[in-house]
Amino acid sequence: MNPEHAPLRKHEFDGICEYDNPTPGWWHALFIVSIIFSFFYYVYYEGNRDAATIWSQLDAAQTEETKRIFGAMGELQPDAATLVMLMGDEKMMKVGAGMYQSACAACHAKDGGGINGVNLTDNHYKNAASIEDLFRVITEGAGSGAMPSWRNNYSQNERVLLAAFVASLRGTTPSSPRQAEGEVIPSWPTGGK
Amino acid sequence: METTGYSDGTTHGNVGEGPLGPMERFSYDDAITRKFVLATVLWGVVAMLAGVIIALQLAFPAMNLGFEWTSFGRLRPLHTNAAIFAFAGNAIFAAVYYSTQRLCKARMWSDRLSNLHFWGWQLIIVCAAVTLPLGITQGKEYAELEWPVDLLIAVVWLGFFGTNFFMTLKNRRERHMYVALWFYIATILTVTLLHVFNSLSLPLALVEIVQNGRVPSGTDWLKSWSVYAGVQDAMMQWWYGHNAVAFFLTTPFLGLMYYYLPKAAGRPVYSYRLSIVHFWSLVFIYIWAGPHHLHYTAVPQWASTLGMIFSIMLWMPSWGGMINGLLTLRGAWHKVAGDPVLKFFVWGITFYGMATFEGPMLSIKSVNSLSHYTDWTIAHVHSGALGWNGLMTFGMIYWLTPRLFQTQIWSRKLVAVHFYTATIGLVLYVLAIYAAGITQGLMWRAFDESGALQYPNFVETVVSILPMYHIRVLGGLLFLTGTIVGAVNVLMTWRARPPVYEVPVEEAPALSSTYVDPPPPPSSLSANTEFGRSVDSKYLQGWFHAIWERKALKFSVMTLIAVIIASLFELVPTFMIRSNVPTIASVQPYTPLELYGRDIYIAEGCYNCHSQMIRPIFAEVKRYGEYSKPGEFVYDHPFQWGSRRIGPDLAREGGRQSLDWHVRHLEDPRMVPQSIMPAYAHLLEQDIDFAAIQGRVRAMAMLGVPYGEAVKDGAAEAMARAQAAALGAQLVAQGGYEGMETKKVIALVAYLERLGKDLTAPPTAAEETP
Repeated sequence: MNPEHAPLRKHEFDGICEYDNPTPGWWHALFIVSIIFSFFYYVYYEGNRDAATIWSQLDAAQTEETKRIFGAMGELQPDAATLVMLMGDEKMMKVGAGMYQSACAACHAKDGGGINGVNLTDNHYKNAASIEDLFRVITEGAGSGAMPSWRNNYSQNERVLLAAFVASLRGTTPSSPRQAEGEVIPSWPTGGK
Repeated sequence: METTGYSDGTTHGNVGEGPLGPMERFSYDDAITRKFVLATVLWGVVAMLAGVIIALQLAFPAMNLGFEWTSFGRLRPLHTNAAIFAFAGNAIFAAVYYSTQRLCKARMWSDRLSNLHFWGWQLIIVCAAVTLPLGITQGKEYAELEWPVDLLIAVVWLGFFGTNFFMTLKNRRERHMYVALWFYIATILTVTLLHVFNSLSLPLALVEIVQNGRVPSGTDWLKSWSVYAGVQDAMMQWWYGHNAVAFFLTTPFLGLMYYYLPKAAGRPVYSYRLSIVHFWSLVFIYIWAGPHHLHYTAVPQWASTLGMIFSIMLWMPSWGGMINGLLTLRGAWHKVAGDPVLKFFVWGITFYGMATFEGPMLSIKSVNSLSHYTDWTIAHVHSGALGWNGLMTFGMIYWLTPRLFQTQIWSRKLVAVHFYTATIGLVLYVLAIYAAGITQGLMWRAFDESGALQYPNFVETVVSILPMYHIRVLGGLLFLTGTIVGAVNVLMTWRARPPVYEVPVEEAPALSSTYVDPPPPPSSLSANTEFGRSVDSKYLQGWFHAIWERKALKFSVMTLIAVIIASLFELVPTFMIRSNVPTIASVQPYTPLELYGRDIYIAEGCYNCHSQMIRPIFAEVKRYGEYSKPGEFVYDHPFQWGSRRIGPDLAREGGRQSLDWHVRHLEDPRMVPQSIMPAYAHLLEQDIDFAAIQGRVRAMAMLGVPYGEAVKDGAAEAMARAQAAALGAQLVAQGGYEGMETKKVIALVAYLERLGKDLTAPPTAAEETP
């Protein structure tokens, strides 16, 4: 449409005039389409509760993950044999490392050297006398809550895995280790049941 | 204006309007517009300077300077309030006062109200600038100001501005209200509604004086809490927050566009019909869209989905404004190249178009699951605030300045400099922050091949976007530079003003009291029923709307109905939701000490960087723990879900760290290497005001929190002292600092240690404190 020939409204406001142009067709069309689309979209989201909601996706992802990580292992026991077995499983240790980074690194440092939590890389242990004690400390906490309890945050399998990963940090070399605390305890038992 | 004739074949002028009243002489009050223009320029510099400072703080944490008043959590609200209410606010008033008088052919109803409005608003801004750095805040985004300032805002906005505007409208000499006025009406009415209902709060002073017979100490005079809690408060807050964008940053600026753009371009507005359709669809649909700020949070899903679909429907109504603006320039594009005012307008409208496409896109749940809590939102609001509001404001100011100060603009070259620095700065800022937002969003949800989070350390995801934060500082600096150049130009023009302003005398006939509306036009439909022809002539041809445009009161009532319908639809169920929120037996009120600690959390503005809302998304549950449930927030006055994760979510922070870690981390957050959090060492030195705790508990009890025995005289204080002593002893046992049991830090840590723990607490467990 040539603007020079569009009809003008007969009003002017402080010198401002208005054309009486129709609303653009594509604009109209998109507006109507967006309204129709929205109706169906609402029905899709609200009428489809069981199929594709974010909660069912979450459930599925969680079940899938447990199956994938712990698969045929069933419930892991916090005993020395299991912990040593896990320490030798490279894939499981990667999973444990991820958990360690989100839960433990804030106090014990990314590489286990300790910040205001103890150094986990040396041979000195403050609250543990054996490898099984690592699981107990993670589960129950220690030192008047200086080490919090993780019972409510992680399942037993996850805590066993975490304990195994923490055990695997022993003997590694952190960048800025915290001074040793507690007693020197015997080396972890070795693999082979 | 070039034209070949009117639609009804008449000649120029408002003819066919029936009888005319007596001719009257009057003049316009431009002094008030001059004041608002100068205030806009001044606060524009302040707001953008504050923006650059907080951008620097994120890039270089040392810029928090170590003072409690200058930390990011306290300055970020200062920046947002200054940008929205001081800069954009004064720009709106300048636009309204200048154009309303001319569109109504009437001087403002009361010069005294105009001036009360001006000085009242500047007083509000100064109050904000003083209280926010002091940590005096209600803790709700963009509604941080405490109750005395909130009252002042209500009085100045509706009592001074609203009254003055509507009385001017009533006394107008132009029977038809032009589209700009429709947008101003919607702005004034809706902002009043939003402000009043979202800000309802219970002041501590009231409880202390009436119930405790005690005078509150210091800043406690100003302390108050939202009357709404948790889910309900979240729904109210984002009904407000979203529609502040709609009715403070959109509708008044569309009104501004409809007046100043055709004026500057010397072209008629493209389509009157488009104005009608997009005005009504915009004011009706916008209100519904608020819950899209709360996707996948603990709000009811029907509300969230409703927010999403209305956001999609809002796309075309928003673009109606853009189209009407850009198509008005048809036949005038050659002018844009040579006229800096039009350049500002064209870019402003273009950014409006981009932002209003992006808004609906971000409202789609699956997109939002990535974008929420990231810088993507920050980029989006800056393309709106700097692009649309900023550039439109500057365009208007450059058009007004020579007219108001009755002289040439001081330097045309500097206007061009401003335009280019502003647009380059804007593009740099926005692109960098889009990249930062998408990068961080993807990092949060990334898993490695072993199925673990690829970036389990939150701080890694922050460090990776720091280069983008540096570019943002550069972009912000450029935009600020442009604003300063503009301010200098306006001030130099002001200095060249004539000794006495010329005040032209205008002449127009008063509206006749014997006016009768014209009958509907004949229907163009031939083969149809009588009913069809009547609908066509009255409605389809717009006759009914022309009638409304002559009736200010009716028009205002219809606008109010349009915004109230949606509000009722979403909010009435929200008020009933309180009983529908599945209660969780193990969720107990905060202890008196934790409650006091929560007020510190609010005062420090922790919610500006930390969310407390875990969405039911796998990566998020992996990182933070079980997703948040509505029943967990029933005692949260106000809710503290936050909207941005500059730091990690804290919804399940309780029990994750030792007391010692928290205290040391608050003292020096660099104990997490590369953290950008400000230090809160002052909390280790300042004493808890134990005497102020009883009033806080009683206030919460008045709001419906079941505090039982704790409301009795002195009980809350005793409980708080006991818990603080116990925590202090535990801290020492953990190898931490001594003497913390009387310091604010122990209250804050008590609160942090409580967060999210109730969900897994045994339901029968009573409160630990005696």
